[in-house]
Amino acid sequence: MEGRPLDDAVLVERARNGDVNAYEALVQQYQELAFRVAYQVTGDAADAEDAAQEGFVNAYYALGRFRSGAPFKPWLCRIVANEARNRRLAAHRRTALVERAHRAQASGEAAPSPEAAAEAEEFRSTLVATLRRLRDDDRLILAYRLFFDFSEAEMAEALHCPKGTVKSRLSRALARLRAALPAEVHLAMGAPSDG
Amino acid sequence: MADLGRLSDMELERALRELGPRYPYPPTPNLAIAVRQRIVAQPAAPVRRLALWRDPRRLALVAAVLLVLASAAALINPTTRDAIAHFFHVPGVIVNRVPSPFPSLSPGTTLDLGQRTSMADAQSAMSFKIAVPAELGAPDAIYVAGGIPGGEVELAYTPRPGIPLVRQTGLGVLITEFRGDLIPGFITKVVEPGTTLEETSVDGDPGWWIAGEPHMVIVQVAGQGQPETLRMAANTLIWEHGGVTYRIESALSKAEAFQIAAGLP
Repeated sequence: MEGRPLDDAVLVERARNGDVNAYEALVQQYQELAFRVAYQVTGDAADAEDAAQEGFVNAYYALGRFRSGAPFKPWLCRIVANEARNRRLAAHRRTALVERAHRAQASGEAAPSPEAAAEAEEFRSTLVATLRRLRDDDRLILAYRLFFDFSEAEMAEALHCPKGTVKSRLSRALARLRAALPAEVHLAMGAPSDG
Repeated sequence: MADLGRLSDMELERALRELGPRYPYPPTPNLAIAVRQRIVAQPAAPVRRLALWRDPRRLALVAAVLLVLASAAALINPTTRDAIAHFFHVPGVIVNRVPSPFPSLSPGTTLDLGQRTSMADAQSAMSFKIAVPAELGAPDAIYVAGGIPGGEVELAYTPRPGIPLVRQTGLGVLITEFRGDLIPGFITKVVEPGTTLEETSVDGDPGWWIAGEPHMVIVQVAGQGQPETLRMAANTLIWEHGGVTYRIESALSKAEAFQIAAGLP
C-alpha cells in the first residue's frame, strides 16, 4: 500500500508526459488504499469501486496541474474521498440498508469462534459498528492515522486542513468515537489473533 | 466486562491500530485495467485557448501584473512566505495580498466565460452535481469552460430589482463552480490594501469574503505559468464543499451573498 515518494515522483512525472504505463503502476500501487479510503466513506463496495476508479481517472487528467514534487498519495486520497462523498450523497436513500448489512456482517462474523477469539471479535465488531456511525470526517481521520499510518503532513493534505489542526481534529474524533461506544462490552484488547 | 467509553486516547488508538489489518473490507477490485482503458480512450484534456496571449495590449498588461506580483513576493521575508504557504485556503484558489494598489485594469477587461450551453449539456460535462441557488432560480445563461479537470460551470444572472449591475462583469450575479481539489492554483486572487479579505465559513465549510475595492482574478492555464483570464472582480464569496469550490461574485452585501450561498446545496 505504501509507495516511496521518490518512486511516486518519477512515475507522476512520466505519467504527466503521457506514459500510460507509469500511471498504471501508480494505480497498481495505490488501488487498495484508494478503494479502502472510498469504502470508509461509502460503506458500500460497488460505490467504493466507482469512486476509486473515478478518482484515479480524474487525478490523471488533473496531473498537468499537479504541483511537481508534491506527494501523490494524500492528493489522490483527497480526490477519491470527495468522489466517495458525492456517491454517498447520491445514495443516501440506501444508507439505512448499508448500515443494516454492516451490522449483519459484523454480528455474523462474531458468532462461531473459540471463547477468547470470540471476545476479541466481539470487541472489533463493536468498534467497526461504532466507527460506521461516526461522521465521514471523523472516520476518515481515524482511518488515515491508525489504519493507513499517514504522517501528519499527509493527513493535512488528504483532509485538506492546516497541518497545525490535525492533532486536535484527531483527538476530537477519538473523543466522539469514545462517546459513541456502548458502555458495557467485553474488553479484549491485546487478545491473541484468531487468524 | 469493561466500559469502552472510559478507554484513554492511547488505549483507544491501540485498539484501532489492532483493528486496522482486520477491518472487514470487501476484496479490492482490480482498477488498473478499467482506468487504463478510460485514459487511453480519452486522451488528456486539451488546454484552453490562450486568448489572452493573442492580444499584444493584454500581453503587456499581464507582463506588468506578473512583475508586480513577483516583486511583492520578493518583499515578503521567508518566514512570512512560509506562513502564507500554510495559510488555509479554499481548494483551487490562492489569495495573494499585495502592499500597494495595482495599476488599474480597464473595467471592461474581457469576461471569458467559455461556451454558452444548456443546463442539461452543462451537467453532463461536469463530474459533480451543478448547484443552482434557490434564492435566484434558473440562471439567465450557463457557460462551460473546456479542458478543466472535473469541469467548470458559470451561472450568469442579469441585473434585476434587488440585484445591482456589477461594472466588472456586466452581470448581476456570477456563480462559478469547479472541482477545486483537482485544480490546485486554478484561480489566483490578488488583493490590494483597499480590499477587505475576511476568513469566513459557509455552513461549516471554510471560505473567504472579499469585498471593497475590486480585486484581481487570474485564471491559470494547465501546467503553464501564464494566466488565461485576468480581470478585476467585485465582491466575492468563495468556499468549498465536498471537493467543489463555489464562487459568488456580485455587488451585493455579505449578508445577501450568504443568503444566496445558503440556497446552494
